[in-house]
Amino acid sequence: MLEVIGLSKKYGKTLAADGVSFTVPDGRAGILLGPNGAGKSTVIKSIAGLLRFSGRILIQGQDSRELEAKRHFAYVPELPYMYDALTVREHMEFITRAYGVELNEAKMKELFERFELTDKKDKLGNELSKGMMQKVSICCALIIRPEVILLDEPMVGLDPGAIRELKSVIMELKGQGCTILISTHMLEMVKGLWDVTFVMDKGHILGTYSKEALDNEDLDALYFSVTGQGQPMEENGGESWEQ
Amino acid sequence: MGAIGYLYRRIMLNKARIALHKPITYFYIALLLFYILILPSSLRVFARQLGGDSPEGMAAVLTVMAFWIVPGNLIAYAKRKGLMYRNSDVHFLFPSPVSPKRVLLYAHLKTLVAQVLMNVFVAVCGGVIFKAEFWRLAAYFFFSIAVENLLEGSIMLLLYGSERLGEKQRDIVVKTAYGLLGILVLMGICWYIRRGLSMGTVSSFLHSDMVQLVPVVGWYIGVVHLLLLGPTAVNLAVTAAYGLLLAAVLAAAWRMKCTGSYYEDAMKFAEDYEEVAKSRRQGDTAKRLGRKQKFGKAHISWKGQGAKALFYRQLLEYKKSKYFIFDSSTFMALLGGIGIAWLYSREGGSGIFETFGPFVIPAVSAYLIFVFTALNGKWAKELKSPYTYLIPDTAFRKLMNATAMQHVQSLVNACLITVPGAAAMGMTPVGALFCILFYVILSANKLYALAVAEAVAGGTLGIAGRQFFQMLIQGVAITMAVIGGIIGTSVGGVLQGYVLMDVFLALFTIIFMVIATLNFYKMETT
Repeated sequence: MLEVIGLSKKYGKTLAADGVSFTVPDGRAGILLGPNGAGKSTVIKSIAGLLRFSGRILIQGQDSRELEAKRHFAYVPELPYMYDALTVREHMEFITRAYGVELNEAKMKELFERFELTDKKDKLGNELSKGMMQKVSICCALIIRPEVILLDEPMVGLDPGAIRELKSVIMELKGQGCTILISTHMLEMVKGLWDVTFVMDKGHILGTYSKEALDNEDLDALYFSVTGQGQPMEENGGESWEQ
Repeated sequence: MGAIGYLYRRIMLNKARIALHKPITYFYIALLLFYILILPSSLRVFARQLGGDSPEGMAAVLTVMAFWIVPGNLIAYAKRKGLMYRNSDVHFLFPSPVSPKRVLLYAHLKTLVAQVLMNVFVAVCGGVIFKAEFWRLAAYFFFSIAVENLLEGSIMLLLYGSERLGEKQRDIVVKTAYGLLGILVLMGICWYIRRGLSMGTVSSFLHSDMVQLVPVVGWYIGVVHLLLLGPTAVNLAVTAAYGLLLAAVLAAAWRMKCTGSYYEDAMKFAEDYEEVAKSRRQGDTAKRLGRKQKFGKAHISWKGQGAKALFYRQLLEYKKSKYFIFDSSTFMALLGGIGIAWLYSREGGSGIFETFGPFVIPAVSAYLIFVFTALNGKWAKELKSPYTYLIPDTAFRKLMNATAMQHVQSLVNACLITVPGAAAMGMTPVGALFCILFYVILSANKLYALAVAEAVAGGTLGIAGRQFFQMLIQGVAITMAVIGGIIGTSVGGVLQGYVLMDVFLALFTIIFMVIATLNFYKMETT
C-alpha cells in the first residue's frame, strides 16, 4: 500500500504541493492526473525520495525514507538515464545487488524477451536509444519484484509492442497484489488499467475517483470536467482538421 | 561485493576498456606522463633558482596549496557542492535501498584515481625537485591517500549528509572556513609589515609555528611539516590535534543519521552537471557549474537573408552573453602571451629554444589550440540543429556564416597570444602578423578537420576512428606547415619561413573546408 499524508513542498516561495493526501491500496493501480505545473512531478519525486518535504509517505506502512521501505519500492522515472559505461545486463545486476535480491537469470531472460532486449543485453548504456533506455528502466524496476511501483509517464518513447507488454505487466502486477501509481497524460493508454484516479492542480488534489463510482465515465471527460480545461474539439463544436 | 563496489568496479573496468580503443587516450596518457615525469625535471632548475629545491620547498608548496584546498573543500561540502553525481545515479541509486551514507562515499570514491595520480605527481616532484628522502615521501603518500581521505571523507559525510545542520548552520561553516582563510591572510600581512617582502620572508611565514596553530588548515600543514621536515614541539602538538580531530569526526560521521535529504541538492547538481557537460561537448564553454547562464538584453540589426541568419543569430547570442566572445581559451591565450613575454624578458632570449626563437609563438599557439580550445566549436552545435538544414541557402554559405564568429574569436585570441610576445622579442609587425595568421588558420583547420573526420570516418569507424582520423589529418597538416617553416627559413630567412608555414597550413585548411562543405551538402541532400 502507498499512503501519502499531508505532503507539502515549497520551492523558495512557491508552494508546489500543498497538503496532498491519497492512498493506493494493495493490488490497485492509481493514476495521477493534472495539467502541466499541477505538482505531479513534485509528488512523484517526493515518493521516490528525491525531495525534502513535509508530511508523511508510507510504503507498506513504513516511512518512505527508511531503507526497509525502499526495498519494496521501484521507480520508473519519466526520463531514463543509463550509466554510460554499464551494459544492459550490468544494470540489472547492479540493481539486484542494490536491492539485496538474488539475480534471477530466468526472470531476467523473460523480461528481456518480453521487452525485446535480448540482443541488446551487452550494449552499453550510451549505445541505447531513448525507447530502449525506457525498456531497461522498466526491466530494472521489475527484476526486484516490487510491492509498490511508481511509473512516471512510462509509455513515452515506447513502441506499440512494448506498450502492450507494459500494460500486460501492470495487470499481472495487480494480480500479484502490487500497488501501482502511474502519472501520465496519455489517458487512452491507461484505459482498463486503473482503479482509482487522483486529479491534481495547483499543488492540490482536486478529487479522488474510483472506477466503480464513475459508472463508466471515461478519464478524458473526468479530467476536463474536474480541471475545467478546454473540452476536446468535437465536444466544443469546433472545426476538425479533416474537412 | 556490495552494489556500490560492483558499480565502481564495472564502470572503471568498462571505461578503461573503451578508452584503450580510442587513439586520443594515448595522446592524453603521453601528456599525463609528460606532466608526471618530464615536468618535475624542468621545474627543478626553476626551484633551484628560487632556492626552493629542498624538502622545505616542498613543505612550502604544499602549505600554499593547503591554504585554498582545505577551506575550499569545507565550503563546497557545507554548500552541498563538490560531489559529482550523474543523472544515472539519481535514476538508479538514490531511490534504491543503498544507505545514503554509502552513496556519499561512492561520490568521494570517484575522485580516488585523480587523487592517486595527483599524489604520485607530488611524490615524483618531491624526489626530483625537492630531494626529499624516499621514506618521507612514502609516508606523505600514505598520509594523503589513507589518513587525509579518511578525515576529508568524514567531514564530507558530516557536512553534506547531515540532516541536523540547517541552512543557517551550513552558512556558519562556510563563514568559518572563510574566517580561517582570513586569519591566514591577516597573518601573512602582519608578517610582511614586520619583515618586508622577500623570498626569505615568504618562506619563513609558510614554515612558521603560528600558521600551524590555525585550526584544521594549520593542523594539516603541521602534519605535512612533521612528515617532510621532522619533528618540532609545535608540529607534534598540532599532529596530535589533527589525530583527535580525525577520531572525533570519524566517530560523529559513523553515528550520524542520514536518510538522504541531500538527494534534492545532489539531483540539482547532477542536472546542472549534465547540462554543462552537454554544452561543452557541443563547443559552448560559457556555461558554468552551479551558475545558471545569464543572458542580458541585446539588439542587432539583421541584415541579409538565408545563411546570414546563422551569423546574426550567433552574434545575438554572443551579445547577450556576459563575456561576449571571450571564454577560457581567450584567457589562456592572454596567459600564454604574457608567459612568453615574461620568460623571454627574464631569460634574455629563448634559452635552449634560441634556434627556433621566431617559432616559439606559433608552437605555443598550436599547443593551446589543441589542449584548451573546445573540440567541436559552434559548427558542431549548428549541425545538431534541424533549422540549419532547413534554411534555403547553399551549403558553402551556411558553413561560412556559421563559422565566421569563431574565426573572429580566433583572431582576438591570436592577437592576445602574439602581441605581448612579439613586443618582448622585438619582432617586426609583419612577422607578428604571420604569427596571428598562423593561429587563426590553425583554429580553422581544427574546426574543419572535425567535419572532414566526420565525413570520412564518422559513419564507419565510430567515435574512436573519427578522433584518430582527425588527429591524423591535423598531424599531416601541421607537419607540412613545420616543413614549410624549415624550408622557408633555410632558403630565405625567418619571414619566408613564416610565409611558407602559413601557406602550407592554409592549403590544407582550404582542402578541409571544401570537404566539409561537400559533406554538409551531402547531409542536406541525402
